[in-house]
Amino acid sequence: MRLGNLLIFAGLKIDRNKTLERSPMAKYTDKIELYDDRGRLFASKVPLEALSPLQNPAIQKIVSFVKQCVTVNLEGIEKALATGELGGKWCIIQGRSLKLDLVKNADSIADSLKKTLQVSKDDDTDVKVLKGGKHLLVKVPAKRLNAGVEYTTGVTSTAAALCCSIVENFKVSIWNADLIHSAVWGRYPQTMEMLGGNVSSLLSVPQQNEGMGYALRNVPCAHIALITKKNAMNAAALSSILEQAAMFEMGDAIGNFERLHLLGLAFQGLNGNNMVYDIVKENAKSGTLGDVVVSTVKRAIADKVIKPMDKLSSGYVPYTTDDLNLWNAYAAAGMLAGTMVTCGSARAMQHTPSVFIYFNDLIERETGLPGVDFGRVAGTGVEMAFFSHSIYGGGNPAVFHGNHIVTRHSKGFTIPCVSAAVALDAGTVIYTPEKISGVVGEVLSEVPELREPLKYVNEAAVSIKGGV
Amino acid sequence: MAGFKPQFYPGKSKVAANRKKYIDPSYKLEKLRTISDDELVKIMGHRVPGEAYKTTHPPLAEMGEPACPIREMVEPTPGAKAGDRIRYIQFTDSVYFAPLTPYMRAWLGHTRYRGVDIGVLSGRVPLEARERDLEKVAKELVETEIFDPARSAVRGATVHGHSLRLDENGLMFDMLKRYVYDKKSGNVVYVKDQIGVPLDTPISVGKPVKEEELRKRTSEFRVDGDPFRKDTELVGFIQRLHMLRTEAGFDSSKVKGI
Repeated sequence: MRLGNLLIFAGLKIDRNKTLERSPMAKYTDKIELYDDRGRLFASKVPLEALSPLQNPAIQKIVSFVKQCVTVNLEGIEKALATGELGGKWCIIQGRSLKLDLVKNADSIADSLKKTLQVSKDDDTDVKVLKGGKHLLVKVPAKRLNAGVEYTTGVTSTAAALCCSIVENFKVSIWNADLIHSAVWGRYPQTMEMLGGNVSSLLSVPQQNEGMGYALRNVPCAHIALITKKNAMNAAALSSILEQAAMFEMGDAIGNFERLHLLGLAFQGLNGNNMVYDIVKENAKSGTLGDVVVSTVKRAIADKVIKPMDKLSSGYVPYTTDDLNLWNAYAAAGMLAGTMVTCGSARAMQHTPSVFIYFNDLIERETGLPGVDFGRVAGTGVEMAFFSHSIYGGGNPAVFHGNHIVTRHSKGFTIPCVSAAVALDAGTVIYTPEKISGVVGEVLSEVPELREPLKYVNEAAVSIKGGV
Repeated sequence: MAGFKPQFYPGKSKVAANRKKYIDPSYKLEKLRTISDDELVKIMGHRVPGEAYKTTHPPLAEMGEPACPIREMVEPTPGAKAGDRIRYIQFTDSVYFAPLTPYMRAWLGHTRYRGVDIGVLSGRVPLEARERDLEKVAKELVETEIFDPARSAVRGATVHGHSLRLDENGLMFDMLKRYVYDKKSGNVVYVKDQIGVPLDTPISVGKPVKEEELRKRTSEFRVDGDPFRKDTELVGFIQRLHMLRTEAGFDSSKVKGI
């Protein structure tokens, strides 16, 4: 909540214009200007670490919500029971069906589900009925997750509690309880995941993660675009938060590599110094990807991040820098702006891999400095181009994520651009984000911190900026 | 920032200078031939000349757009506005002094055109865009000095031929024989569209550019032309870039004074 220059966050009153003294605990001297998704200044001189997943309360809340929030497709359960199509498409058990009015009775199901999930009366359990009872948004209490080591507690406890609620509320007999289990859990445990089930979360089962710490990267861009209601700035922000938070979990953002990721999150994902917004604005009416490269280089020169070296014999001037991590963040912000201009002007998502390769090729040739993630984004673009243009199968950019076999290589810098591109698409793909995401994206867009992450992360950064 | 002038490409060789020139959007590509709009539409084969553009979604003004600051700022191309399908033109460039290398098509395409999706493969380069935007771009790509009727070709499928010897008329090999050399007029004539469907009437794309002229205009390094290794400035530039990528990958915080 804002009141003039006063920001009231978590009960604390903070003056946004007042620069608090930096704590001697801060590792980095970098200060960031925070802006909202429409290029309006929110706060100045915020220490970089106030945006760190290790410090920022809103980022931590987002990560918690990703674990706690689960979606239930009551309509899907009702239909599965009525048709006997249980555990995936065409998997019909002939002669077995059950007519239960789940959607009509969504409120009573939600009540008993909440009671079953609650650990104590006043805990953070929540069950919201959406779309006239077709969907439920469930928040599993943190206490349940804290009592275990795996994030799957969210879906397992919701699915199990839902089975109990339906059996109890509809007095389902012992002979039909197996149908309820299959309609809710799908084919699990015959399959590794809940195939054909009607309880889902943003996170996939751990066996589907490519390696250690990949859980937060295993979220398709279709979900991100829909959760943020196709606001490209927020889509990029949410993607960047999940990707860069995963970098800490994977063991990438630590020691000498931590600042690289924090700067990437601040400038590319969170529109730090309004860089992404400014560059898009500069090229919004008629700019090409090449023009975005030029704008990015100009900004880096003006901010003294890079400086010219001696002229070569052809007249070409290579650039140098003493801060490659900061240069990388500028290039990453430019690349997101390039995606927004290219995919935005075509209102099509398919251009993303082309932007990944050629934004980097062009900026490398313009400056003589390495491109985003020091070549890894360009390489990722080559693979993604193959797998997103029907050459060797694959799918459209909406199915990609940071855990995908062809897009996992860049450490957090590509997927925010893909999410933004998916958000900007006007309907050029056969498998639309809505089709890919199912109910998950739509239901989770009810969570404000997931829907508008920029706003909440900015507020939280200001609330702690004196303490990092 | 006043005073900053984009430099596009390093190198002191003629080939490097050509690359720089073509990538620079302020350089006006020299027009060498005229292909009518209808002829180009026929060669691409996506629609019949005069036929309305097919759409993949309703016009943006009719469908409305989500509340997004980027959509509000970024002007859609005419094709995106109308909801056109995304279509392609694809080129194959011979290794024998064709005006462009595959990568050059992507570099210049992204500096000169808005809202294009370009992919580079070893023997073909597709450029995809909304259909009416594509037709505008394709015109410049075929009519100007960056296309040669003999050494560059519009090929949607079965692209093989970029690294094969030229035929007796100096034409790049094409298994589908989409184009022939008309000895009488000296022109290269397309008899099939880009995927090999026969055309009702042949379409001339003009005379092949002379060998000496091609060597002057090419952006290809070749040992029997301008060898890459002779351009020591460019070699040094590429080596520096790769060293920086490698050192930064090891520890970006320790790369100083580069």
